[in-house]
Amino acid sequence: MVQSVEQIERVDRRVPLVLGGKSFHEVTEAIAAPIEGRTPKLWWIIFSAAVTLLGILVASTGYLFYEGTGIWGLNNPAGWGWAIVNFVFWVGIGHAGTLISAILFLFRQKWRTSINRFAEAMTLFAVACALLFPTIHVGRVWLLYYVFPIPNQMQMWPQFRSPLLWDVFAVTIYGTVSLLFWYVGLIPDLATMRDRAKSALGRMLYGFFSLGWRGSNRHWQHYEVAYLILAGLATPLVLSVHSIVSFDFATSVIPGWHTTIFPPYFVAGAIFSGFGMVLTLMIIARWAFKLEHIMTMRHLENMAKITLLTGTMVGYAYGIEFFIAWYSGNQFEQFTFISRMFGPYSWAYWTMVSCNVFIPQLLWFRKIRTNVKVLFVISIFVNIGMWFERFVIVATSLTRDFLPSSWAYYSPTIWDVAALVGSFGLFFTLFLLFLRFLPMIAVAEIKGVLPQANPHHGHTPHAEESHAGATPAPAEAKE
Amino acid sequence: MSEHQPATINDSDIRVPDGHAWNKLPAILGGVGLIGLAASFVLRGEHPEQFSFSYLVAFLYFLSIALGGLFFILINFASKAGWSISVRRVAENVMATLPLFVLLAVPLFLGFEHLYHHWLHASVEDVVVQGKKAWLNKSFFSVRTMVYVVIWALLGLFYYSRSVKQDQSGEPKLTEAMQNMSYPGIAIFAITTSFAAFDWIMSMDPHWYSTIYGVYFFAGCLIGIFATMILLTLLAKQSGLLKQAVNLEHFHDLGKLLFAFTVFWAYIAFSQFMLYWYGNIPEETAFFAKRWYVVHHEGTALINTFQTSSWATISVILGVGHFVVPFFFLMPRTIKRKPAFLAFGAIWMLAMHLVDIYWLVMPENPHMHGFHLTLLDLTTWVGVGGLFLGAFFWVARRQALVPLKDPRLPESLRFENF
Repeated sequence: MVQSVEQIERVDRRVPLVLGGKSFHEVTEAIAAPIEGRTPKLWWIIFSAAVTLLGILVASTGYLFYEGTGIWGLNNPAGWGWAIVNFVFWVGIGHAGTLISAILFLFRQKWRTSINRFAEAMTLFAVACALLFPTIHVGRVWLLYYVFPIPNQMQMWPQFRSPLLWDVFAVTIYGTVSLLFWYVGLIPDLATMRDRAKSALGRMLYGFFSLGWRGSNRHWQHYEVAYLILAGLATPLVLSVHSIVSFDFATSVIPGWHTTIFPPYFVAGAIFSGFGMVLTLMIIARWAFKLEHIMTMRHLENMAKITLLTGTMVGYAYGIEFFIAWYSGNQFEQFTFISRMFGPYSWAYWTMVSCNVFIPQLLWFRKIRTNVKVLFVISIFVNIGMWFERFVIVATSLTRDFLPSSWAYYSPTIWDVAALVGSFGLFFTLFLLFLRFLPMIAVAEIKGVLPQANPHHGHTPHAEESHAGATPAPAEAKE
Repeated sequence: MSEHQPATINDSDIRVPDGHAWNKLPAILGGVGLIGLAASFVLRGEHPEQFSFSYLVAFLYFLSIALGGLFFILINFASKAGWSISVRRVAENVMATLPLFVLLAVPLFLGFEHLYHHWLHASVEDVVVQGKKAWLNKSFFSVRTMVYVVIWALLGLFYYSRSVKQDQSGEPKLTEAMQNMSYPGIAIFAITTSFAAFDWIMSMDPHWYSTIYGVYFFAGCLIGIFATMILLTLLAKQSGLLKQAVNLEHFHDLGKLLFAFTVFWAYIAFSQFMLYWYGNIPEETAFFAKRWYVVHHEGTALINTFQTSSWATISVILGVGHFVVPFFFLMPRTIKRKPAFLAFGAIWMLAMHLVDIYWLVMPENPHMHGFHLTLLDLTTWVGVGGLFLGAFFWVARRQALVPLKDPRLPESLRFENF
């Protein structure tokens, strides 16, 4: 794709966020089109594939409930397998959505408005997939409520010192706040859809969920306050969630798991993996729904930069872990890291390092960052690499524990594969429904960053226009 | 400090005029610094060990602030920030003191035997430390020390010289050059500060290790720079400078960043503490044991008496004072928009940052039984601090206090928090 002149960033002025000089109405039309138009054939094709995979999930989970976790490839000593790998993988994916919606909001990064709705939806569906795995892995699913501290006549309580219980709290709170955040942002847009709806059912449903939004000044004031508070809450939450996920490993005394850099390293990795997934999804969606003027090349480039940054942070953590493993003088720690590189799982380790550290280094080059096809391929590598990272952490440390006589090799069964593949079915089914029925871009917010949203639009004195960097505030694009 | 500032600034606002009190500061502060250092060297005669540890605390404290300044500049160029331009020069002037630390690093070598005797003179039976010889040996360590400070000085000069050059030419290409350098610059910064923290502080106890240690030191650097920027900018306003260029909005944002990194520091500190407490492996908990209990060395082993020492008080002060108090104090918007309150918060955090560095370094002094301040703590701190601040004011009065031809300056002047 050719990059237009106005997209090239300049030092002396901020470039517009939305291209093509669209009016408010044209923006609404462009975003509402995928919902109001006929269902595209491509959507049906992908949706059928996704539902098929979802069917695999339902069937394999049904058999899992009937037969038990013995159908998975777990063994002794590898008591944790793909279930935890998939859980961490999916929770991680969600983190990019919250970074885009909350952290970039607090940092006044206005370019986020084109992509936040999309990324937050991804967060919710990823959290749903993540919650699936701890749920189904417990063996006796009907006793799942034991994970909650419910007062009972047996005086039985969960172990409050267990990071697995902290996970229950962390992920459910995270899911709830993400849902609220997403929903609050959706309200003005749902009202737009209500006002445009042709069918009675559409009017009723959009009308119900838009909570009587009339777009009055009072409504907007409440909205802005609520949004800021939720962003402030979601920011520490997103750091806490993956930190607590990392505690699942790091509180143990297993070599390769018990290390202090795990919390920030997991958070960086989570955001990295999430950006990989947002890029994958967005590159397809912006092309399929012709939204390239709203989700511009610059948005993709910015996301590529964050991918590079977080990927390099992950690389830093790998390096520091490796150095300290040597420096510690702890022979078990040293063995674990040597064994990761050259042991039975070296193939997985090198896949991980290549996908997470080496390949993203290509993003140093603008030519690569602005090449949609190459970017798409890199994003796929990131997704693969981050899944392998969790696999490497789980498999290498568990299968080579302190007692060589109990060493084993862990390999998945067809049912492990079915659960992972099936979870993608769940994810894509939900995501495609979102694309079809809800505005995938925050209509109201995007209008706020259009040049004509500035009260001084069209009245700017000539002297100011020529003044370097004097683009009026609402149209500014923070990089 | 009105809400609406003009988009232009007068020369008198951004340059230290002749006869202004700031003109005397470099000589006064530098003089105080030299006296402090001279007194420290005199006292060193009798207490060479105490000198080494006290000097390391003072050196790390002010160096961390200057490093924070370097990082603030790097991240501003990397993110192409607009809001911060009018306060950027203050950070640049702090960063411009980095070459001074190349000289200030030299006295560290005087204390080498005391600070690092655990690995310099490790016994043959101490196989763990013997295994680290390739990394922890005097010559390689000295080379690394000089490499760190020289790299930081060069990065600092790179940015300072270009930013100042832009004051004359207004050339946007200079901004581009600084932007382009910021990306590798951040990577270089991350690696050097991490390893400097491993080497200078962590290796005092060569048996102990923590992968997050570099990030912990980095978090302290940022607390230091944001608090320092708030105070120095407020001081400038009090002295009749930067009246137009800097307004409440900038202080509000600096306050937010100070608050944010207070939380970040707590997050990192908690991660390190909780994981080692939970794992409960003696070689890892040793670090915290030294800062809570009375301990003594027997050969290569550290014996814990489980009697609470006076360090426990300092540990509690650090936890409460470095996180709990500022968390609630700095949270409200009103506080960050009231200069007197914000200044109090900044002074508090600078004090807590000193407690933090002191808490990292001092318990490693094997001849110090429990917490007690010494005269050398004061003289080294005044010495390094006087030179640091003297250098800051010396740099500050040579150039405009705002990068006046930065292409994004108008954006910073008209920026508002909503």
